[in-house]
Amino acid sequence: MNIEITGLTRRFGRTMAVAGVDLQAGPGVFGLLGPNGAGKTSLLRMMATAIRPTSGTLRLLGRDPGSYGPRREIRRRLGYLPQNLGYYPGFTVAEFVEYFALLKEVPAAQVPAAVAVAIERVELGGKAKTKLRALSGGMLRRVGVAQAIVNEPELLLLDEPTAGLDPEQRVAFRALLRDLGLRATVVVSTHLVEDVGAACTQVALMDRGKIVFHGTPNDLTARGEGYGTGDAPLERGYSAVLAEARS
Amino acid sequence: MTAVQAPAAARPTPVKRGPLRATARLLRLELRRNAMLWMLPVAIGLFWFTAYRKAVAIPPLWNLRAASMQIGALLAFVCPVVGAAAWMGSRESRRHTTDLVTITARPRWVRQLATWAATTCWAIVGYLGCVAALYGVTAQQAAWGGPLWWPAAVAAASLPALSALGFAAGTLIPSRFTPPVATVAAFFVLALSTQLIVGSQSYWQISPVVTGPWDMTPDAGVGTFYPYLPDLPIAQVMFLTGLTIAVLGAVALPGGSGGGWLRRPAAAVTMAGLVAAGTAVALAGTGTMDAHGMIAIPALHDAANDRPLRYTPVCSHTAIPVCLNPAYASYLPTAATALAPVLSEVAGLPGAPVRISQAAATYRQGIGNSVGIGLPGPPISGTPPVFRLLLPSQLPGPTMTTSELAAAVRSSTGFALVASVIGDNAGATRAQQAVTAALSMSAGLPQSSPAAPTRQRPNATVPLPAPVQSAARRFAALPASARHSWLMQHLAALRAGRIALAQLP
Repeated sequence: MNIEITGLTRRFGRTMAVAGVDLQAGPGVFGLLGPNGAGKTSLLRMMATAIRPTSGTLRLLGRDPGSYGPRREIRRRLGYLPQNLGYYPGFTVAEFVEYFALLKEVPAAQVPAAVAVAIERVELGGKAKTKLRALSGGMLRRVGVAQAIVNEPELLLLDEPTAGLDPEQRVAFRALLRDLGLRATVVVSTHLVEDVGAACTQVALMDRGKIVFHGTPNDLTARGEGYGTGDAPLERGYSAVLAEARS
Repeated sequence: MTAVQAPAAARPTPVKRGPLRATARLLRLELRRNAMLWMLPVAIGLFWFTAYRKAVAIPPLWNLRAASMQIGALLAFVCPVVGAAAWMGSRESRRHTTDLVTITARPRWVRQLATWAATTCWAIVGYLGCVAALYGVTAQQAAWGGPLWWPAAVAAASLPALSALGFAAGTLIPSRFTPPVATVAAFFVLALSTQLIVGSQSYWQISPVVTGPWDMTPDAGVGTFYPYLPDLPIAQVMFLTGLTIAVLGAVALPGGSGGGWLRRPAAAVTMAGLVAAGTAVALAGTGTMDAHGMIAIPALHDAANDRPLRYTPVCSHTAIPVCLNPAYASYLPTAATALAPVLSEVAGLPGAPVRISQAAATYRQGIGNSVGIGLPGPPISGTPPVFRLLLPSQLPGPTMTTSELAAAVRSSTGFALVASVIGDNAGATRAQQAVTAALSMSAGLPQSSPAAPTRQRPNATVPLPAPVQSAARRFAALPASARHSWLMQHLAALRAGRIALAQLP
């Protein structure tokens, strides 16, 4: 298992953002659904080793990120796209992706090829020399994905990756997700249930810091049968599970 | 985005990551996108406006130009360097990339060092360009000597320190306001760092804007007759290097900078830097002004630097040759022309000097920051006698025009030369005063208080009694040959005080 989480909590002051999550995930695309404030981003940031858990155990790629050496090894094999992508406007697309390839300790000799491949995979090859300040929001999102996959991660964490993408790009992105999921564990946090339905093999639904559902998209769809709220079967399942959890 | 068209990159191998090559690539990226690159025109413009123009306006003496360059370059570069470094230091927080870069494998310290190094590299490139321009011009203009590298080294060592301080400020307080605040603070700290210097023994001499005894403006005489003392610059470079190391080491101390393997050595490096900087400050506190106008630090002093520099003087073809240090060769025509009438009056007289030779000034620390500058003994000494000349431009003060310099030489050296030959010093007889005044009149020297700016005060300003003035006018009215022959016969008696005023022709 690439992700092994037991009783994980994270507190910000008096707010319990993640309240005892148990989760296991192997290779494949894992969808993380939930309403705003459910704790998805906090859980993702803990898995990305950006913040430490308040309590509980977390093992990533078979290692404990609590100590420096294993954490560094995990980070070499990790890709992360945060919800709000920060970037350096003066960098070109290629420079930005190269910067992260170097920070992720991709072997120097492999960096140019890795950068070129990552940029091609998000279909920004024609914009490689364009400065980031000149890109649209959707293109910036794709640059964020490129920097996340430049090191061919074994664990890829994507927070709202399709936000800002047009429908055509979203379809292409789902294909990319499925491809990445063949070799790596891809965790996708999203509000868009159609992304989950199209690309994910497993899905978890969070609410108020806890996982209230864990199964396949089909399982989630099944939970919504006969439930009235929602336009699509998966949305009805989503709403049904949330309503049940809150009742 | 496509899942099939682009081939997947080969998975990184755990070994042979090529850290040096990767670091070089990281540095290249940072160099290309560094804020200091955009601040270079500002820094160079400031240097040109505030330092270069002033430096080339002063005489082309290496010591003057080097001291001027050290101070000017520092004040020109401090704001752009600190500002750019603080801007780069706060970049991750300002641009909201903290999470993105935090989760990467390369230690934060390495990442930050690359950013700092790029900022510093550009600053040093700009500074070296400024030094090359000023020293290149000076090399074409200077008559003698060579570049002084220690002042250039002090300013060069200041840039990494300023950059490190700015970068640390930007890292620790990552805000848009940090760069301007850090810039203003650094400028004032640097500019005001000399305000607490009292006398030559002060810890504050460690400030990189100090080039010698404070409150003594750059002095043309310093470092021309004796080697430029590197004592204070060594202490300053040691301090700046220690400060840079300490600040950069401290940046690695917060949690998250790296593992224990990195933070423990960083703590040791920080301590080593602080010890080096502290030692340098202590050394600067033991520095005193030496007789040649430079700061000597006993623990760093090399006695070989106390020996005068060898040089072949440049001499005029006047009745008595006027010989100057070759660094002052451009002053020779002015000085020789100014003194020629006086030299004609005294040439050949018994006890007259065979040569007017430029001498090194002697410096004495006075009360507070005052400095006494003068000749160590009587102006005429040796066998055969040599008159030792202190050019007004050897002394600290405003730069003189050629006519001002000539007037100053005439009024100070000319009168002193006549008085020395006649024996007109403290306790001189009225006859001696009259003959001195007469020769001065004949040579066209000013008879009242000289207006020319000179700190080498002659005794020409003492108003003479009416009988003395009358005798002087009478003696001056004689033909030059008559004066000369009378002096040839009676100068020994006149000098001995055995000639009365009434005995003068």
